Amino acid sequence: MSVKMRIGLLFSGALFLVAIAAWIYQLKEGLILTNMQNSYSWGLYISGLAFFVGNAAGGLVLTSSIYLFGVKKLKPLAKLGALTAFANVTAAMLIVLPDIGKPIRLYNMLLHPNWMSPLVWDVIVLNLYAVASALYLYILMLPELTGRLAWLAIKVDDPQAFSERWAKRFAPVALLFAIGIHVVTSWIFSTQGARDWWFSPVMAPDFVSVAIAVGTTVVLVAAALAYGTGDSYQEAYRTLGLIIFMATCVHIFLMANDLAIHAWYGNAEAHRIMDVAWGDFGLAHVFEVAAPLLGSWLLMRSQILRSLPRLLLSSGLLIAGVFVHRFLIMPAAYNNIPMTMTPFGLPDSHWSLPIASGRFLPGMSTFLDQYAYFPSLVEAVILIGIMAYAVFLVLLAVARLPILHKERI
Amino acid sequence: MKMGMVIDLEKCIGCRSCMVACKQHNAQPPQTWWNRVFTPGSHRHLTPPAKGVEFFLPVHCQHCENAPCEKVCPVGATYHAEDGAVLIDYERCIGCRYCMSACPYGVRQFNWEDPAKAHQRSEYQEQYHYGYPEDHRHEGRLVYMPLRPKGIVEKCTFCAQYRDKGELPACVRGCPGKARFVGDLDDPDSDVSTMMKGRNAFTLLPEKGTKPTVFYLPPKAKEV
Repeated sequence: MSVKMRIGLLFSGALFLVAIAAWIYQLKEGLILTNMQNSYSWGLYISGLAFFVGNAAGGLVLTSSIYLFGVKKLKPLAKLGALTAFANVTAAMLIVLPDIGKPIRLYNMLLHPNWMSPLVWDVIVLNLYAVASALYLYILMLPELTGRLAWLAIKVDDPQAFSERWAKRFAPVALLFAIGIHVVTSWIFSTQGARDWWFSPVMAPDFVSVAIAVGTTVVLVAAALAYGTGDSYQEAYRTLGLIIFMATCVHIFLMANDLAIHAWYGNAEAHRIMDVAWGDFGLAHVFEVAAPLLGSWLLMRSQILRSLPRLLLSSGLLIAGVFVHRFLIMPAAYNNIPMTMTPFGLPDSHWSLPIASGRFLPGMSTFLDQYAYFPSLVEAVILIGIMAYAVFLVLLAVARLPILHKERI
Repeated sequence: MKMGMVIDLEKCIGCRSCMVACKQHNAQPPQTWWNRVFTPGSHRHLTPPAKGVEFFLPVHCQHCENAPCEKVCPVGATYHAEDGAVLIDYERCIGCRYCMSACPYGVRQFNWEDPAKAHQRSEYQEQYHYGYPEDHRHEGRLVYMPLRPKGIVEKCTFCAQYRDKGELPACVRGCPGKARFVGDLDDPDSDVSTMMKGRNAFTLLPEKGTKPTVFYLPPKAKEV
């Protein structure tokens, strides 16, 4: 194991442990340690769920490109794709835990599942996708599970042929679960008729397109760090760059389309959405559009793909843009109280009924219809720790398992 | 039997007695209010937004027939009781707060911390306890506790603990203007059904399709 790898493992492992400690502290004190309150009931954790689910799409892109569309040059990256998918989909499930008020009761999901609830569907597809990614990774590694790893290998006559055959058979199934996690996660929001900002059929295709962009970027970053930016993988990187750019454009189009329709209709609820999305969060909105567009455009250029720092910077720009995009799921939903009315005798006025905050907020009224949410330290530490978990898992697997393509090991 | 409530906005004087009765009888923690009375159109309660335009709007759980909170609950903790009330099983709720986003009326309240700590934080007097003192089960499910566990969601139960004894909800009993009525919506001759037909009853946010069982009778314009 190289020194860099050791430092990476230590650092990410430590951050993850700090997050666990923060979660235990939060379990003891309650969600009062977050900055959420009743009228703003989901925050950084649930944004984190959407973020990690998106990052997990790398496996989907590589599997389908290689086995359904025959893009053979991506084959050396297939294992990295499955690995980053597994790390991110498990991170997505982990980040939900601190958002749960009574996690000890999660067994009720097994004992009394409500089949109407999109959250139940999401737990099912996320688990299926995690299992599918792990299995898929195993099938791809099988021919190389020799020597000290031989005990892990199932006995088959020709591991190479077996691996190839089953990877091909498995690809369509994995693809189904992969699309499923983005669609079902988007349904958690878009089925909510109470929230005009979320109640849109465009959310599911948009989640898929963001995921393809950011999930592929995650694989590109992992590949560039593992293999460098030499000639051997340039062709694969260019293909990934093209996929990232196209997916980003589709995402920006879908988002703009949704906003344009809201703005055009121009009812009071839509005005309120625009006030938040383009007003209060105008700068963040510019960033969520500009950063992924610029980042993905740069990732199509060969000067960028040939320099590790530039590649990392461009990818970072895109990932940061997508992260802000995920954060912005909440404000326009929660700072737009659904219970509004036009009072009798005042046809021009639009009035919202304030909501009791449910917690002591110094200097603030108990009844709120506006709330400037910003994550608390505990929320931030837990989110960063779960990100570190995903990095730790990928590094550990790369160090211990035959993930990287042979010539380079 | 389908229980429903009618609130006559002509009779509501905006005194917030129902808010306080509800809060006290149901032992709601500080900053938690199941029932809210405001002056629509005005930022200040009891201050008319315009001359002659003055009415008050009490809002609590609308006990919807097509309740989004019940549909999204992953563990079936929110459920419809046999009489049509929407209740929360305090033993089953996992505290995911999905229902709070899904409810268009903003009536669901979360226990962000232990209520005892919330009392301290809000500087309530020590040994000051209020509310119905015992745990209450309805159809075997725990729907009321004087001291809520932290991390669960709560809301109006139509006072399940009193109704099961044949008494009316605290807000109905506590209303000095007698603006609130409870009755059987399935019975066309019940008081509530008659009032609704005779007085152009309406529901809140009908466009959301939630089918509330709380109905409002419109106020008359005030003469100034």
